[in-house]
Amino acid sequence: MAERAGKRLGGRWLGVAVVVALLALVEAGVRLGAVNAALVPPPTEVAVRIADIIATGAFVEPLAATLYLLFIAYIGASALAVGLGLLMGRFPAIYNLFEPLIELLRPLPKPALLPPLILFLGLGDLMKSVVVGLAVLFPVLINTIQGVRGVDPVLIDTARTFGYGRLAVLRKVILPAALPLIFAGLRVSLALGLILVVIAEMLAGTGGLGYLILDMQRTFRVQNMYAWLAILAVLGYGLNAGFLALEHRIIHWAAARPD
Amino acid sequence: MQPSPAQALPDPAYLKLSGVRKSFGPEGEGGTVALRDISLTVGEGEFLAVVGPSGCGKSTLLQIVAGLMAPSGGQVAVGDTAVTAPPDSMVYLFQQYTKSLFPWRTIVDNVAFAVEHRGGMTRAKARQYSRPFLDMVGLGDSAERYPWQLSGGMQQRVAIARALAAEPRILLMDEPFSSVDALTRLDLHNLILDLWTKRRFTVLLVTHDVDEAVFLADRVAVLSARPSVIARTFATDLPRPRDSIRTRETPRFLELRHTLLAMLLERPHDG
Repeated sequence: MAERAGKRLGGRWLGVAVVVALLALVEAGVRLGAVNAALVPPPTEVAVRIADIIATGAFVEPLAATLYLLFIAYIGASALAVGLGLLMGRFPAIYNLFEPLIELLRPLPKPALLPPLILFLGLGDLMKSVVVGLAVLFPVLINTIQGVRGVDPVLIDTARTFGYGRLAVLRKVILPAALPLIFAGLRVSLALGLILVVIAEMLAGTGGLGYLILDMQRTFRVQNMYAWLAILAVLGYGLNAGFLALEHRIIHWAAARPD
Repeated sequence: MQPSPAQALPDPAYLKLSGVRKSFGPEGEGGTVALRDISLTVGEGEFLAVVGPSGCGKSTLLQIVAGLMAPSGGQVAVGDTAVTAPPDSMVYLFQQYTKSLFPWRTIVDNVAFAVEHRGGMTRAKARQYSRPFLDMVGLGDSAERYPWQLSGGMQQRVAIARALAAEPRILLMDEPFSSVDALTRLDLHNLILDLWTKRRFTVLLVTHDVDEAVFLADRVAVLSARPSVIARTFATDLPRPRDSIRTRETPRFLELRHTLLAMLLERPHDG
């Protein structure tokens, strides 16, 4: 087992080496004149900009704006989706009531909703959080419904024979049993949410990382554009890593189970 | 509500099934009648086994008794009370222990599940209350492990401990020993008999294993093929305590086993 873990670690470092090699290749390409430096600045110069942004604390405000928007929309929409999904998965009447509406909205690419949303809600945080929330909602909702329906009836009957009522069964049996699928939905939604935050910020043009990246491009500050892009990439990586750690903590039993 | 044994004799018809019928699908043509007319009484503290061929509706019968499923006709009563929902006095031990234990709960928390929703209980109190039941089934050392870390026999022990923790007056068992290996099964038989002797709850066991039914029960009821009725009921008349090896070698055991198997295999001339 230790050997296997070691191999996995080795594979990981190899992957990091690929990233470094790619950056070195770009650097060499630019330095040798093979790539237009006005479009692709040397990575080392971008690195200097990143260091600058970090040193001056310039990242705090846009990063906070982006994260704030993401978390508000993500947590709100996820809570709504889990609640609704539990009810829809458990009660056919509620499922039938909302299913057509959901099937209509779900396949719609959410950025397409930005123009009408801007019309109704303007360019502020409300519009942005609504569109991000809509993107987050569906994967969590669909997975919650699936998770609830997949709960083994024996588990539910067990609780009933011990005298658990409907609500207690939902909270103490169905919700935890559905958690592995709910978390799978939450993970997809986190990535989708970040995408939508960036698009919404670009379109609204009032702040955040998405706005900055577009603004730097429009004002020909290409090195800064790449610097912010790199910061966004690290943010995405960090969010996913954080999510996986949280998931492992909460549903450790699902990963450890042999089946 | 319940008279204590010291004050009253055990009720000879404590659990009573009268004309229980169950059909699936439309009535009459096109539907399936699983149970035709089941009438059965189980005395307080009695161990009754129901044997029948596969697909004769044994599990359906038990689910109706447990209040998990409504009968199409007839009624189930405990004492004077008709069963319409799972009663507090009954606990159901499922065949599929891997599906009835909660994989996100440790062993002790699985047992605590039986009582933690009751008034005045906290999670901590329920855990503390549960520990002696784990000791009873010999799993005191595994309290903080998870079900999927245990063998099949140990998992069924957890399910037994959880069932006992609810202090049931009636224990319903749906082929609870059929998915463990043969030696573990004998082990669990002894455990159940031991606990039943000490705590004297009423047992209704359904099984397709004639050997198991005769070894454990006071009486064995034979269910006919679908649509099922009770074909006959036998008193086992085997002395207790029973022994895994010796009881099975007594003439009475062999005779009963012979008769029951002949009935189930439909070989009347062998009977």
